Amino acid sequence: MVYFIAKRLIQSVFVMLAVAFLAFSLFRFVGDPITQMTGVETSVADQERLREELGLNDPFAYQFARFTGDMLRGDFGFSYRTRQPVAEMIATRIPATLELGIVALLISLFVGIPAGVYTALRPRGVATQAILMLTLVGVSIPTFVIGIMLIFFFGVQLGWLPTFGRGGTVNLGGWETSFLTVDGWRALILPAITLGVYQLTLTMRLVRAEMMEVMQSDYIRFATARGVPMGRLYFKHALANTMVPVITIIGLQFGGVIAFSIVTESVFQWPGMGLLFLESIRFVDIPVMGVYLVVIAFFFVLVNLIVDLLYVVIDPRLRVKDLA
Amino acid sequence: MSQSIGKSFVLGGALSLAAISVSAEQFNWASTTDPQTMDPHAVNSAPVLSFLNNIYEGLVRRGKDMSIEPSLATSWDPLEDENGWRFNLREGVTFADGSAFTAADVMFSYERASNEAADVRSWFAPVTDVRVVDDFTIDFVTSAPNPLFPSSIANFMILDSDWAINNDAALPARDAENFATLNVNGTGPFVVAFRDPGVKTVLTPNAGWWDTAEHNVTEATFTPIGNSATGLAALLSGDIDFIQPIPLQDVEQVESRDGFSVLEGEETRVIMFGFGHEHDTLLYSTDVTDVNPFQDVRVRMAAGHALDMASIDRVLFRGKIETANQLVPAGISGYSTANENRPDYDPERAKELLAEAGYPDGFTFGLKCTNDRYINDEALCRAAASMFAAVGLNAELSTGPVRDYWPQLREDDFDMYLLGWSPGTFDMEHPVRFLLHSQDDEAKLGSWNFGNYSNARVDELLPLIQQEIDPAARQTMIDEVVQITQEEVAYIPLYTQPLIWASKDNVDLTQRADNFFMLRWVTVN
Repeated sequence: MVYFIAKRLIQSVFVMLAVAFLAFSLFRFVGDPITQMTGVETSVADQERLREELGLNDPFAYQFARFTGDMLRGDFGFSYRTRQPVAEMIATRIPATLELGIVALLISLFVGIPAGVYTALRPRGVATQAILMLTLVGVSIPTFVIGIMLIFFFGVQLGWLPTFGRGGTVNLGGWETSFLTVDGWRALILPAITLGVYQLTLTMRLVRAEMMEVMQSDYIRFATARGVPMGRLYFKHALANTMVPVITIIGLQFGGVIAFSIVTESVFQWPGMGLLFLESIRFVDIPVMGVYLVVIAFFFVLVNLIVDLLYVVIDPRLRVKDLA
Repeated sequence: MSQSIGKSFVLGGALSLAAISVSAEQFNWASTTDPQTMDPHAVNSAPVLSFLNNIYEGLVRRGKDMSIEPSLATSWDPLEDENGWRFNLREGVTFADGSAFTAADVMFSYERASNEAADVRSWFAPVTDVRVVDDFTIDFVTSAPNPLFPSSIANFMILDSDWAINNDAALPARDAENFATLNVNGTGPFVVAFRDPGVKTVLTPNAGWWDTAEHNVTEATFTPIGNSATGLAALLSGDIDFIQPIPLQDVEQVESRDGFSVLEGEETRVIMFGFGHEHDTLLYSTDVTDVNPFQDVRVRMAAGHALDMASIDRVLFRGKIETANQLVPAGISGYSTANENRPDYDPERAKELLAEAGYPDGFTFGLKCTNDRYINDEALCRAAASMFAAVGLNAELSTGPVRDYWPQLREDDFDMYLLGWSPGTFDMEHPVRFLLHSQDDEAKLGSWNFGNYSNARVDELLPLIQQEIDPAARQTMIDEVVQITQEEVAYIPLYTQPLIWASKDNVDLTQRADNFFMLRWVTVN
């Protein structure tokens, strides 16, 4: 097991290097950081001097080597836009994104799985049809439209929830959390729903399909014949067997939720990594963009690893294989 | 810079302020961009200078109508024996940390702001020497007579020398941050109580401010909101009291609701089309590849006559724009009232001109535009392209974000392009220097004259305009420049960009033409 984890973590270094390389080769098309860093009155000569100082005139290979070399030494550089250390900027934004992603994930699981089971067991019920219709709408409308609709309904018309930001946060040893204040939770609800809707729909449909298939299988029929209580049958025997593919997809999706919370964060002015990335693109803040993409790549690797480990927990057969 | 004197002033200020402001007023506002830094010399950009004008002060400042008025200097006069200006400084002013303001701080700030590491150093290009005469008198010597100098340094903000040196911020941060990037110590009406860059900045009144406070704000919170729909929702839900700017299409939405109002004005930014005067051939033409038809003034005139500004105003801008006829709007000093005519909409005349120039069937060319820099920029260019096409000027439009736009223009990658220009000094000399004078990197002139429009007489007049003390003689020369560049169609000025802010009804504030938001003029009722 330790060997397995170590191997995956070493692989992740190569993934991150590849991402850094791709990102770096794209940056030259993003725009010119110098014109974003200087005012209109700054002379061309001064712009050139700054370009030279920042090493932007160096060949691509050299710039890339310097970036990766610095990162390996733990030096993440300084933002072109704010001149702050990039590591600190990203670190302070991670809690907002992770908390948002986790709450979105929990919403999608706690609503999506029961809804999936229900719609599988009552395929022709009126409620099932309604749920399926609703989720079809949910998955078809773009995230930012859902977000803006929620803001205008709950924030502007009803005035129940804040329209932007994180509300009250509490600093727990460097980790700014929304979980400990009422304001924090109030601010979290709308963005988490917005971010979780797609995930919820996917989970529900996946659970439904898997569940319907499992319910047809022989062992369920035998269990039914043997008189196993319905609740135990559905949730212990049937649902557990649908979980491996569900966890795979949800896990992979969670990486995406973290990575692509950009849209939700922008609509809600949620001060997470995605918003930081968006601002960085506007200002061609290459150091921040580079580190962000590498961090996201690492998240993906990490989530995949956790998914692999969860298989073992859920499916006893894999444990035997691992021992052998 | 005696500490004890400073403290007594702070105390006195606090007492008088407590007597004036009776009710506690929390004020929340939003804008699209967070100031990149709190260092007033590090970045010469509107979001930074606008924000820091609430915290730091210059020798002079701009009033509600943009006029120059005394700030840290109480008066200024031309030097007698040489070129330059003497500033008499205000006595009894203290920085927020209590240390006293003297000429040494001005000297230090000048050295800091004119250093290579500062982005604002171009303001001091005419300055050859700065001399402290006594604690409250300082001379700025310039290479030639410079009547505009005092107004050109309205955004030159003064730092406390001891504070900056003791905190290792003697120079603006260039690549890594320093103390002044996040912390402030100004003489201005507000101090920063909390700052989380990109998220939230909280300002509180500076109890020791030398001037009488007109505002009644006791705490002001600034949030950058990049997404305009989110900003609008935040205003309508009451989460914020004021936002700058809002998109044109949201004006009706705000006006239709009780309790909110829209502030409309004209920015000083003139939107225009520019040409590749210097290019010998067109880059993006499919039919004319051996010459550049835009080098013929008749073709440039035709382009001007092709544009139906009334329709553009009605359809794209809901009737909110003023057309422009020169590179600055009316009201800016140096505006040439002698040359107020712009080419009228006359497609027949445009076709005739094209035929005279040898292009009866027109030709194709490339038009470059931004899509995220000016209000409705992409829509404007689409409309203009179809109007050009109607007379035979078949523009192939390409639009892109501003972050790669300037590099493309600098590399001469255009046949015609869109540009907006706001005169930083609020004087006509500014666009003449940057847009009309021939490109001259050495002398730092014509740096935004991408097409390198060049006229020997204009080049000759610029230094004379810069040095002329007599307003009438100066205006005569400016009139000549405007006349030449209109006749030669150096640019096609289109309109002045509208300025649209929105606030709750219970907030009184002042919209200044430079789009700067001054907290010291805010009253919450």
